[in-house]
Amino acid sequence: MRRSTQFLEREGHTISNPVIKFAPSNFPKDICEVEVIRDVTKCISCGMCAAVCPFGVHERKTGYNRVSKPLSYLCIGDACKDQPFYCVDHCPKKALSVGQNQNYISIGDSRWTRDLILGTWKQAEKGLPLHGLKYEIGNSGGGFDRLFFKFPKEGRTEAIENDAINTELELNKREGRKISIRVPFYGGGMSFGSVSLKVMLARAKAARAWGTFTCTGEGGYPEALKPYDDNMITQVATGLFGVSEESLQRVRIVEFKYAQGAKPGLGGHLLGDKVTAEVARMREAVAGSSLFSPFPFHSVYSVEDHKKHVDWIKEINPDALVSVKVSTPSDVDMVAVGIYYAGAHIIHLDGSYGGTGAAPDIAKKNIAMPIEYAIPMVHEFLKEEGIRDKITVIASGGIRTAYDAAKAIALGADGIVIGTADLVALGCVRCGCCESNRGCPRGIATTDPELSEIITVEWGAQRIINLYAAWRSTLIDILKQLGMQSITELVGRHDCLINADYIKGKETG
Amino acid sequence: MPKKYSIERVLAPSRFPPVGKFVIERNEKECIHCGRCTLVCLYGVHKRREDDPRFMSEPVNHLCKGCFRCIQECPQEALTIKNNDNYLLLGDSYWSPEIFSKIWYQAETGSIPVSGAGYTGPFSGEGFDSMWTDMSEIVRPTRDGIHGREYISTSVDFGRKVPILTFDTKGKIISPLPQICSIPMPIIFDVIPFGYSKNIYEALAKAASFLGTFMLIDPAEWFNSKYRASLVPLLTDLSKNWNQKFGLLEFEGLIKKCKMVEVAYDREVLKVIEEIKKISTETIISVRVSFGDTTTKIVEELAFAGAEVIHLCADINGKVIDSFDEQRFVKDAILDTHKLLVDHKIRDEVTLMLSGGIAMAEHVAKAIICGADVTAIDLPLLIALECRYCKRCHDGLSCPVELKALNPDYGAQRIINLMGAWRDQLLEVLGAMGLRDVRRLRGEVGRAILYEDVQHETFDTIFGEGGTHNIKSSY
Repeated sequence: MRRSTQFLEREGHTISNPVIKFAPSNFPKDICEVEVIRDVTKCISCGMCAAVCPFGVHERKTGYNRVSKPLSYLCIGDACKDQPFYCVDHCPKKALSVGQNQNYISIGDSRWTRDLILGTWKQAEKGLPLHGLKYEIGNSGGGFDRLFFKFPKEGRTEAIENDAINTELELNKREGRKISIRVPFYGGGMSFGSVSLKVMLARAKAARAWGTFTCTGEGGYPEALKPYDDNMITQVATGLFGVSEESLQRVRIVEFKYAQGAKPGLGGHLLGDKVTAEVARMREAVAGSSLFSPFPFHSVYSVEDHKKHVDWIKEINPDALVSVKVSTPSDVDMVAVGIYYAGAHIIHLDGSYGGTGAAPDIAKKNIAMPIEYAIPMVHEFLKEEGIRDKITVIASGGIRTAYDAAKAIALGADGIVIGTADLVALGCVRCGCCESNRGCPRGIATTDPELSEIITVEWGAQRIINLYAAWRSTLIDILKQLGMQSITELVGRHDCLINADYIKGKETG
Repeated sequence: MPKKYSIERVLAPSRFPPVGKFVIERNEKECIHCGRCTLVCLYGVHKRREDDPRFMSEPVNHLCKGCFRCIQECPQEALTIKNNDNYLLLGDSYWSPEIFSKIWYQAETGSIPVSGAGYTGPFSGEGFDSMWTDMSEIVRPTRDGIHGREYISTSVDFGRKVPILTFDTKGKIISPLPQICSIPMPIIFDVIPFGYSKNIYEALAKAASFLGTFMLIDPAEWFNSKYRASLVPLLTDLSKNWNQKFGLLEFEGLIKKCKMVEVAYDREVLKVIEEIKKISTETIISVRVSFGDTTTKIVEELAFAGAEVIHLCADINGKVIDSFDEQRFVKDAILDTHKLLVDHKIRDEVTLMLSGGIAMAEHVAKAIICGADVTAIDLPLLIALECRYCKRCHDGLSCPVELKALNPDYGAQRIINLMGAWRDQLLEVLGAMGLRDVRRLRGEVGRAILYEDVQHETFDTIFGEGGTHNIKSSY
């Protein structure tokens, strides 16, 4: 009880936004769109390029005769062409050229295109929103990638100051303790074992800075997260790894994971390579042996059983909000109603294209439906049942950008959960090698002591703080263009969206 | 409880280096042979030269996973990563490079492809890509099948089934019981489209007999009585020689030897069936019908005439063969055929087998949901043996992976591995749906989420009727 009054006090006064600091890539060379090529056979090292370039692409270090190798990642590319300082035009020997970077072509896939990955990196670096279609949609040819906002010509609220636009989300629509988050998103469950402790700490730190939450996943609750208890959600999943009364009482939100979008109908997978001694201790398992969580909860075979689960949490931690994470089967709307009547506060829908630390490819692609369909289905059904305003609907699974987030909210969700975008901010390239060997080669989804050194907690937290800042600015921008002043106004406003598949062409003949 | 069926798998490494997705280029002018790349690469792409460790050796491209570590950490920016053109050129628009690399992986290891990060492909696509399989949650329990914690049966039956049994006063069954034959998984081997050689046939037959499944074979090409329990001879051009009673006598021995034979459909097919039954009543007869505009009529006619198994074939890319609609996909064709037989209340009596375009494990599950009892695969068998579908053999050129020189035992193991992995994936899908028997999945369209339906149910109400439902996939 002591802790809960503490919260009330804290919630009483406003906290200023966290500071955005420049946080460049943790690798010596960044991957970028453009490549500045200097033909050394032509270059006479006159230094003209270094003199004209305002971005520091070219540099002649003092004491050196030669101009150093161009720093392509600082170049602004095509946008520079018409500028008076375009180095290619200034070079007296025509030794410079600007082209597309080869490495840039190989990065990304159709859901997370190269521009979305690089765009997320840029946002995490500078904390500023990006504009342009390539930073808004991917190339998957469906779902969010075919949805666009229809901004009205009149009634925009652009004159209003950014701080006056409300992006807060109240997570509890029932009786009892209110918990609101300052941005309409929080971090999704990533277990200790699937990601390193440093990544967990970085996410927790960022969540605290933004007054939102992040989730422990199903791999237990490491002690190091104790200072962040107020911003943690702990997960009770089918494996029940590290679930104890103590860990459930530490937090303000408890999440039941019935299924995960990337592998619906299957339990969590943690392959043996990643079960280090530390992970094994946390999960009360044997180091080196693969951990496949059972599926389903063998204690839940009906909605009544589910209610027992919820009651169990309420008994142990009466103040906690209960979130129920489910995947998206064809009867997800019925499931949602069941969840409400069992007494949960939050329905967390995880769509089939969501991220994972390890899942069979067949499950990722084929089982259950994409989130874009599940959101309107659940939203409309809850409205018909008259309970939509009594429960919070949170969506996740394939939400890559702030635009996706806004589209999900317009389709009917109250807020969203971020997973992969957090990791991309930390330098993920989506190579999909999280599951085996020593884990992530980039030091994110790994428990290897050497590889985890690639990331520092401070840097990681700052990258995520920056990303959230950029997302929030983007959301505010969208709200202003729609003439809204609060994110809650956007919920279920599918009239603000157009679907490219539904645009009728001119009647012919 | 029946004895649990499981497929034992043994590692069968590829004979030739597989085609990797990426190519790493090292700029010899820039590289200072510092060895930073060998330190940062987890997959062994970068190594020092064995004969002269002062220098770096050529990157081992097929091991690269595209993590960009070496690219970003090379102090000289001497490394470039590119998409491998040879990878992108594998197969064609239907048989995508991804299908190849996944089949190779499964044939080698026998494990199902598992990876991190979310799905990377297009939202939806044509044919089998325009549907998702359902799952169960809370209200209907799933099944924990994949790790053997609950037993899920994948066996299916060939043959005619009686709709009702009649008994005499003493309780003895008096209705005639048709021949039936079970195989432990809903996949059989179809006649391979090319690459005919003794070693390949031997490898396939070995694998089929190990797995306890069937293999369709043209007896004029190859037949080995050792494997007769698994071989299904495909008898063609029977009715052409019908009047001389020539065709069947030639095959009489085969028909008596085998559990099942397949005859190609023509107008005289019912007569052929009758004659075969005269030779051996115990042999099950499958009728091979090419999918086309008249298929549903043919199937209806055959079903009512008492056909036991109908094998519906599409082309290698899963497209219907004789149709005005060239884009019609096998998924929709089987769905219509299945529904028609359901409407006629005769669906359960006949076995439908489907082939054409089955390229991944998910296609087996989806074909069964759309109404097939069992599927037959062709090209994946060759891909498992490292075939690159380059079609050089079509022009009489040499095979880049020397398929003719294949060791049949090794080849059989690769196919067994692939089938083991496919069956496991089928178990994953069945488990997620809460089904304990693949026979219950057949025609369970309610357990499919069809793109058109879900688009209609959700988006039509939001965005108005008449979306173009354009299925676009491009990257």
